[in-house]
Amino acid sequence: MFFKRVVALLGLVLAACARSSTGDSVLVVLDSSLDKEAYSVFWDGLVDKGYSLTFRSHKDARPAVVEDEVAQFNHVVVFAPDSKNLPQDLTPQSLVALLDKGTNLLLALSSKKQTTINTLASEFSLVLPPPGTPLISHFPARDTPATVVPVPPPHAHPVLTAGLPPVWFSGVPFAYTPNPLLLPLLNAPAEAFAADTTSDAGADAVVEAADRAGEGLWAGSSLALAAGFQATTGARATFVGGVEMFSNEFAQKELPQGKLSGNKQFAQDVASWSFQESNALRIDKVKHHRVNETEPRETYTINDNVVFTMHVSKFNSNKDTWEPYSGIQDMQLEFTMLDPHIRTALSPVPGQPGEYSVTFRVPDRHGVFKFIVDHKRKGWTHLQSTTVVPVVPPQHDEYPRFLSAAWPYYIGAMSTSVGFVLFSALWLAGDDREGKKKGIKTE
Amino acid sequence: MAPKSTAAAKQPTTSTPSALHETSPAAAGNAVQSLLKAYNETTSPRLKLIDAFLVFLMIAGVLQFVYCVLVTNFPFNAFLAGFGSCVGQFVLTASLRSQVNPANRNEFKDVSPERAFADFALGSVVLHFFVYNFLG
Amino acid sequence: MATKAYTLPTDIPTETVTNIRSLLRIVSLALISAAAISSRLFAVVNFESIIHEFDPWFNYRATRLLAAKGFYAFWNWFDPTAWYPLGRVVGGTIYPGLMATSGVIYNVLHALNLPVDIRNICVLLAPGFSALTAWSTYMFTKELKDESAGLLAAAFIGIVPGYISRSVAGSYDNEAIAIFLLMFTFFCWIKALKLGSAFFGTLAALFYFYMVAAWGGYAFITNMIPLHALTLILMGRFSSRLYVAYSSWYAIGTLASMQVPFVGFQPVRTSEHMAALGVFGLLQIIAFSELVRSHVSSKQFQTLLYASVIGMGVLGFSGIVGLTYKGWIAPWTGRFYSLWDTGYAKKYIPIIASVSEHQPTAWPSFFMDLHILIFLFPAGVVMCFSKLRDEHIFVILYSVVASYFAGVMVRLMLTLTPVVCVSAAVALSSLLDTYIDPTEPVLEEGESAESEATPQDPTKKVKKTTPPSNSGSFGEYLARFTGNTDKPRGIFGVSNRLIVLFNTFGMLVFFVIHCTWVTSNAYSSPSVVLASTGADGNAHIIDDFREAYYWLRQNTPEDTVVMSWWDYGYQIAGMANRTTLVDNNTWNNTHIATVGKAMSSPEEVAYPILRKHDVDYVLIIFGGLIGYSGDDINKFLWMVRIAQGVWPDEIQEPNYFTKTGEYRVDDRASETMKNSLMYKMSYYRFNELFGGQQAVDRVRGQQMPKEGPVLDYIEEAFTSENWIVRIYQVRKEDLLGRDLKVANAFEQGRKRKKTKPPVRRRALA
Repeated sequence: MFFKRVVALLGLVLAACARSSTGDSVLVVLDSSLDKEAYSVFWDGLVDKGYSLTFRSHKDARPAVVEDEVAQFNHVVVFAPDSKNLPQDLTPQSLVALLDKGTNLLLALSSKKQTTINTLASEFSLVLPPPGTPLISHFPARDTPATVVPVPPPHAHPVLTAGLPPVWFSGVPFAYTPNPLLLPLLNAPAEAFAADTTSDAGADAVVEAADRAGEGLWAGSSLALAAGFQATTGARATFVGGVEMFSNEFAQKELPQGKLSGNKQFAQDVASWSFQESNALRIDKVKHHRVNETEPRETYTINDNVVFTMHVSKFNSNKDTWEPYSGIQDMQLEFTMLDPHIRTALSPVPGQPGEYSVTFRVPDRHGVFKFIVDHKRKGWTHLQSTTVVPVVPPQHDEYPRFLSAAWPYYIGAMSTSVGFVLFSALWLAGDDREGKKKGIKTE
Repeated sequence: MAPKSTAAAKQPTTSTPSALHETSPAAAGNAVQSLLKAYNETTSPRLKLIDAFLVFLMIAGVLQFVYCVLVTNFPFNAFLAGFGSCVGQFVLTASLRSQVNPANRNEFKDVSPERAFADFALGSVVLHFFVYNFLG
Repeated sequence: MATKAYTLPTDIPTETVTNIRSLLRIVSLALISAAAISSRLFAVVNFESIIHEFDPWFNYRATRLLAAKGFYAFWNWFDPTAWYPLGRVVGGTIYPGLMATSGVIYNVLHALNLPVDIRNICVLLAPGFSALTAWSTYMFTKELKDESAGLLAAAFIGIVPGYISRSVAGSYDNEAIAIFLLMFTFFCWIKALKLGSAFFGTLAALFYFYMVAAWGGYAFITNMIPLHALTLILMGRFSSRLYVAYSSWYAIGTLASMQVPFVGFQPVRTSEHMAALGVFGLLQIIAFSELVRSHVSSKQFQTLLYASVIGMGVLGFSGIVGLTYKGWIAPWTGRFYSLWDTGYAKKYIPIIASVSEHQPTAWPSFFMDLHILIFLFPAGVVMCFSKLRDEHIFVILYSVVASYFAGVMVRLMLTLTPVVCVSAAVALSSLLDTYIDPTEPVLEEGESAESEATPQDPTKKVKKTTPPSNSGSFGEYLARFTGNTDKPRGIFGVSNRLIVLFNTFGMLVFFVIHCTWVTSNAYSSPSVVLASTGADGNAHIIDDFREAYYWLRQNTPEDTVVMSWWDYGYQIAGMANRTTLVDNNTWNNTHIATVGKAMSSPEEVAYPILRKHDVDYVLIIFGGLIGYSGDDINKFLWMVRIAQGVWPDEIQEPNYFTKTGEYRVDDRASETMKNSLMYKMSYYRFNELFGGQQAVDRVRGQQMPKEGPVLDYIEEAFTSENWIVRIYQVRKEDLLGRDLKVANAFEQGRKRKKTKPPVRRRALA
């Protein structure tokens, strides 16, 4: 039974070959209080893209997320804002372990309770306000409660579709701490704040209470509502302040201006980033060789001229393929031994899609060097490549041999040798003569 | 080729100035004259041949040294090889000279002149082997 | 007519005696060689055919490369796996003589279709060369006195522990062949000096070249021979022979020595070599002035010449000093200074002082290494004074210089050993000659008959006719031999002779027993494999080192970088075949200090250092469990000192002591000590081994604290059977960019320290 399922899952993974760059099996852990159908727009959107969804209640232990140390799903969505505790395989530790195995996470925070997901957020450098303090905004004037807020999405965001209309949000805001791995997806409007009361009369009390607790006011546009996090392994995790963002209701709800909200598109954008569908890059291959050669060398000699070439691809989710990508203008290559000896731009080669190349001279220093590309941009897959190559001093026969400056010495040495030969010849000849003389004398 | 023949031709005349060169220049004129005279009288032609070779080597060595100091000592190994060959050959030849010198007969009881030359030749060959190995 | 103490057969023809004599000589030499080789095989018999200690592992590794890839690849060898990431230009920083020798032997044997493993050649090279050393010592001593002294000297050098300590089977180090070269070069030198032969001068130069290629100790020859020449000149013993010998040796030898890449231009650029150059120049000047003098007899002119000679000497010397001052000639190196001022290294270069073989010699080790020879040695030197030919002066100088150096540094005991053997042999052979010679002294003036007896014959007689033993002091007899032989001296009667000979013989027997004992017990341990004796007397082999190195070899990727203290660098490279940060070729002090800093810092300081150097594993030696005292905690202070030399602000030695200035590892250890990476790695989980009882470190004899150290940035990867080798893996950076300490706490489910109050608050007025 179990075996069958594994085979089925594996087959699924192989056959569908993914809308996402990492695979298309998604486990959705739903709070039993949530109606699956209330989010059907979001689910359908995913299924339309080609994901296969498996639903599971937050109380169930099956299907297991990890079996035999192998992650069974490529992506895990946890929409369980009201459940304080999650089963054994979804504890904060196991979720981090999942991330380590390359599984992507989409997690919804709770605005009412201190859930395990909320505590997990602090591991991702996110700081949550006290429980029960949802985001509140009285602007713009609208017919919804103050806790249901239309939020204009950021302009020119690397992940979100351009020109997205404001999205409805209801839930808890949170604060960032400076962690370069974080990617802000949606920030609160400037007029919004977090408080446990919607009453306008209590404004002073909110400020006072915040002062007393010594935590400052939870307000303003630096509050986050949805944030992505890209772990060092490349797996992505997204925290959303309120699960309602993904609901059919919000997706179909009209904005105060009368337009349809951007929730549907926003939800799909967030999901596609979280599931490594968009902004997924990879290094296909790295090549290095001496100028005028084609094959890499095991070692380079100091002062060699070396060509370093890298091929980068980007995942195209529409065609479900990796395509060469030349869009990175600010990539750098470092040639490092303890410290970078050379740091140079690694720019795209015109006419060669996906190729980045640079030619440089190896420093006049031998040692074990590394070609390092460490390209980290928010929202994009980190491109990291390290190639170790020893740089050696010239071989004994690679030094210049006969120098013009040394000619006097060559002549000197040779004249000495010639002199020696001549002298020996003369000496031996003289010896003969002497011998003869002696011979004559003795005779 | 050329330097050798000139040195051989100049042999009787050049030996003394160079000898003077090495000793203190303060030597009195008559002393030098007597030295010259004694040298000419007591030295056999074979020793003079050696002396001529020594003088040639010394000139070659001095020239290289001057070139090294005035122009360049790069490449240093070539200089050492060239200069070393001159010095080495010089001392080997000087050794030969003292070994075949009849005046030193009693010091070298075990070394016959033929043996001395064989030693000299062997030493020189070894020397030149290292010189050429070091030159380039 | 002289009377004889005992009669010798007179009817043997002289020719037969000569033949038997040379036959006996050859047989004795062969036996000595056999004894020399076989006594060095204890290591193989007791353990196995394995390379010993530390440096030999590198030599072995280099030789394997040489045998596999040929000489040019070896010459150009850049080793990227040593001194990571600096790498090491091996071809230009080693003395290739040893590897080249093995490589040649290997190729010759293979050309003869004898498929011998390169390891066995390496293991057996040192014993093989010890036989050659015995032969060259024989030749050397023969020049000093006669064949019988030569044979004695050969026998001594063959089994003396001072030399065996560096040349047992498996001790594949430069010294293994260097001592042979040293003795043979000296032999050629005194031979050249004796004969005034350029041939032997050239030969000396060639062996000098070989020596330069083989061992850094060649500087000893470079300074010994000029010192000898200079002394002869100052004694007024200048001769054309000296000129011939020295000039031919120096001219060819220097040029040849510069062919070795590691030596390069040093012979003309460093102060250590300037003495030889100076003496060379001086000899030229003197020789020339002698030549002139032979032609001119004017007294006035001669004084003038002397003045000019001295003037030129002074000029040359000041020239050298001036060049040194200008920096063209490198001044003496630190290692050289430390020879004169034993405290120098400790003050300025702890890295040199930390090497165990650079420590001053302890007095007992003179007796341990040389036994009776150390008593015979002065007698031999005194005898050299009584003859005082040129070569005797050489031996005297050699003894004085080598004695000094042997006192300063343990490893230089090795250079003293040959001259001790030679002198002792001279002394002992004089004694035997006198006491075996059957001629009795004639009280009135008379001619003394030549004795035809070989020393071997009567010794055998002595053995057969065992006389009553008597206690005779050696010194008394020796004292008689120091005077010259104007007056007839000698011994009356047979019994006197037998008493002395028997005592001498007994002493030699003790010497042999001592040598065998020392060799088998003290000097044959490979130190890679340890032996311990159990309670029941059975030998127990402790093989933790190889266990750990093979674990590394089999369980880690090939490009793994292993950090350890430099002592184990060569072994890791040789046995585990993994990249190391520092090794026994201690050429880069800063790099070693970096490792020292990492070891002596707290984890969080060490971690960035480890990551920067791409360290994957850290290997330490811990002896606390079985009482292996040469472990890293005992070496730890050197790490601290070396690190302090480079980072005096961050590492301070006093912090590692308790308040009362003790070096402790128990409860009272200082905080810095307890937090240091080395301490934590050594005692990590050490408590668990004692099952709740008090843990005891058996090396330090101290009780360990109840709470063991906690590691956050590294994790235990391997610990060998007896806990001697412990290997830790360096953890990768955290997945979520957290500090590893925090990540670890999260992993273990510990509550995170809250940055913000989680309590629900009510803001309603």
